[in-house]
Amino acid sequence: MLLQTTITGLAIGGIYALMAVGYSLVFSILNFSNFAHGSVIMLGAYAGYFVLTRAGAPFPVAIAGSMLAGAVIGVANERLAYKPLRVRNARPLYFMISAMGVAIFLENLVYATLGAHFYSYPEVLGRSIVRIGEASIGVLDLFALAFSSVAITGLHLFLQRTKSGLAIRACSFDMTVASVFGIRLDRVVGLVFAIAGALAGLSGVFLGMKYMAYPTMGWITNKAYVAAVIGGLGSLPGAVVGGIALGLLETFVSVYVSSIIRDVFSFSALVLVLLAMPNGLMGKYVEEKI
Amino acid sequence: MYIQGVLTVAMINIISATGLAVFTGFTGLFSLGHAAFMAVGAYTSAILTYFLGVPYVLALVAGVLASSVVAALVGYPTLRTRLRGDYFAIATIGMGEATRVILENLKITQGARGLPGISQYTTLPVAAVAAAIVLALARNMLASVYGRNAVAVREDAVAAEMSGIHLLRTRMISLVFSAGCAGLAGGLYAHYLAFIQPVMFTMVQSTQITAAVVCGGTGSLTGPALAAFVFTVAPELLRAAHMWRLVIYGLMLVLIMVFRPQGLMGYRDLSWSTFSTLAARIRRRTPHGKR
Amino acid sequence: MANAETRFSRVSRPAPEREGCEGGGTPVIAECIGLTKLFGGVRAVSHLSFKVDEGEILGLIGPNGAGKTTVFNLLTGFYRPTSGSMLFRGRDLAGLAPPAIVGLGIARTFQNIRLFSNLTVLDNVRSVLYRHAPYGFAQALIRSPRVRRDERRVREKALEYLEEVGLAGRAYDRASHLPYGLQRKLELARALALEPVLLLLDEPAAGMNPEESMSLVGLIDHLRRKHNLTIILIEHHMDVVMSLSHRIVVMNFGEKLMEGSPEEVQTDVRVIEAYLGEEYASAYRR
Ligand SMILES: Nc1ncnc2c1ncn2[C@@H]1O[C@H](COP(=O)(O)OP(=O)(O)OP(=O)(O)O)[C@@H](O)[C@H]1O
Ligand SMILES: [Mg+2]
Repeated sequence: MLLQTTITGLAIGGIYALMAVGYSLVFSILNFSNFAHGSVIMLGAYAGYFVLTRAGAPFPVAIAGSMLAGAVIGVANERLAYKPLRVRNARPLYFMISAMGVAIFLENLVYATLGAHFYSYPEVLGRSIVRIGEASIGVLDLFALAFSSVAITGLHLFLQRTKSGLAIRACSFDMTVASVFGIRLDRVVGLVFAIAGALAGLSGVFLGMKYMAYPTMGWITNKAYVAAVIGGLGSLPGAVVGGIALGLLETFVSVYVSSIIRDVFSFSALVLVLLAMPNGLMGKYVEEKI
Repeated sequence: MYIQGVLTVAMINIISATGLAVFTGFTGLFSLGHAAFMAVGAYTSAILTYFLGVPYVLALVAGVLASSVVAALVGYPTLRTRLRGDYFAIATIGMGEATRVILENLKITQGARGLPGISQYTTLPVAAVAAAIVLALARNMLASVYGRNAVAVREDAVAAEMSGIHLLRTRMISLVFSAGCAGLAGGLYAHYLAFIQPVMFTMVQSTQITAAVVCGGTGSLTGPALAAFVFTVAPELLRAAHMWRLVIYGLMLVLIMVFRPQGLMGYRDLSWSTFSTLAARIRRRTPHGKR
Repeated sequence: MANAETRFSRVSRPAPEREGCEGGGTPVIAECIGLTKLFGGVRAVSHLSFKVDEGEILGLIGPNGAGKTTVFNLLTGFYRPTSGSMLFRGRDLAGLAPPAIVGLGIARTFQNIRLFSNLTVLDNVRSVLYRHAPYGFAQALIRSPRVRRDERRVREKALEYLEEVGLAGRAYDRASHLPYGLQRKLELARALALEPVLLLLDEPAAGMNPEESMSLVGLIDHLRRKHNLTIILIEHHMDVVMSLSHRIVVMNFGEKLMEGSPEEVQTDVRVIEAYLGEEYASAYRR
């Protein structure tokens, strides 16, 4: 029971981490909460579904397709809704409102065109179950865990080992200084949104397989925002730690306390962490220059 | 009868928009959970009149107090950091979900089915008087040192703090006032509809309030009030577009941020002096002839 | 850095006299002892010690990145020192939040102007006159007669401060619409409105032309006398520093390079070296 709960928790936590990383990556560069991230995830889930069912493509193609769709939507979102604000140095509040607008727009556009219908993914991975000792674990959960670990490790290597990754890290450190050193901001920001979008597409597919695709599914991402704040806004390791901690907490609460009040627990965890550590678990206290 | 109903709801929405205008437009903070504050006010006051027979006005006051207390509990841990308005916004998402879960599972709120049979005390005159009072209180607050502190914090939190203005205290005052308005709106709403359910107080409701404040204009009270009125009445006139209403709200938020972030009435308010300055400007211009 | 030379050569006029300092018995009003601030590996301020006497203008100079602004950020509670202490009127400032420090009587201006830019000039000053509006929240909500009276007073006070820096005529302009030099004066008025004992000015003449900066010199000296201020002045315009300061502390790489009268500082080889580099200094020695 304990092992099973832990693995289920890790699997959910892995998806939370995947979503939180995309959101935190954008935050680390542009310093605002991209509330549209959830809508990109939702569209990614739909994209994966349509590639699988309408085009009849195999599962890996569906994943690639939804990652590509997520990247394109992410970049388009940035160019249309944030870039105009970025060039005039608007305050974070305005970015947040714009992001909120995009989220509401996309979610309701899907609702108005495709309807509130729940699209359930075909059973590509089956509902088969693996037994490890006493525990029986869904293959889907294992797949989700594996894919999120690979994606997050890949992102980490990309940021640490490549030139583009270095540019992203430089911009997250100081955008103006980075641009002085000849880094092309538009490109870096575009790249960041493409990566975040691709991660969103990937998590969309897994969410879709687990919970089906529907217009308001993006709100599951709320958990990712909460996870990112618990871990420390803008910090990628923080997003991972926060996501996994939240996934474990929720699963344990569901199993041992009550699944109904699970969300009350996550919210209380957020408030308690912020009370004790105003910058989250791994967020560093940055001393702003004035 | 129908028109009266629409106008009553419009007045109620003016109250919550005024509250959010103080918080977002004047203090520069973002909330995604004002509907949850409305829910707290609605349920508190409805439970008091329905189960305990508490007088209407007292129940409304209790609703205001309850949502202010909830706001303070959420605000204290999240509004402390100097430049992290995001913390509060994200906490309000969590709060919204937690509130819904609690309302759906408590005995006294009768879960997801909701509370029917609440006395219908809120009439158009009641709502209109309440809206007028809230607008007057908000105007007074903003014209006082409390409003000036809030605006200073919005304009430049660092400069404000280095000028001796307490960030947390200032933000908390705005938040509590704002949530109090939402609580009042919730109480009035419950006693207008005579029936409340947790699903009434979700993102859709929060979105509508936010859209009114953003479109009406940051740093303006009359702008958001006007927008709240239009946003309540217009969809009723254009029933066909109902499906698309939220699509349009979303698009509108983006377009305003891109093209006119200060909103329609940014940093201005309609008052008698607006008209007199306008008249004076016209008079001043005419004799010179040029520009 | 090229025009630092010209700045030096323009140095002029003896430092203004300070009233009542002959006995050398002027009380120390503020003091830094071994003040150190690290940012990661960067030593922004390193073992810095200096005193400020009551009523004086202390110049704080040094090349770009020397750590001058960081000293202000420490004194005003914006940063916590890594080590060392700061005393103000005998009180330890360690751990106090910025508002508490303002309450003790320290106000500042910013190197990169930080006005409340969407507000009018008048409202920029009104925003910090909260001490003159001590009424409660309930009173504010009903706008009681007391509130009206206090608010009238706040307005008059704000106009007085604007008058002092010569901005009363632009009271109703938006702060962001003022020309640069006037924005600096508005920051000065806003800091003055906090009724400080110690005023920290971070490059008040930056971006001003020579005439503007010389009129600023007159204004600062006038304000110091009128309000009994003690001032620490960071400034790159050497003529401004030299003509205003009674004493100067020179910083370089976070450390105190030297301290002395304007004359002493101007002729010190180390200072010239810090500003202009080794070659100039050796040329100067010859
Ligand atoms: N918040 C911060 N984080 C990291 N490094 C900082 C921070 N603030 C200042 N520094 C560094 O500390 C050093 C001193 O900076 P400071 O702004 O105090 O210099 P300054 O003497 O005011 O220079 P200038 O004449 O250019 O204004 C610089 O190297 C600067 O990059
Ligand atoms: Mg400086």
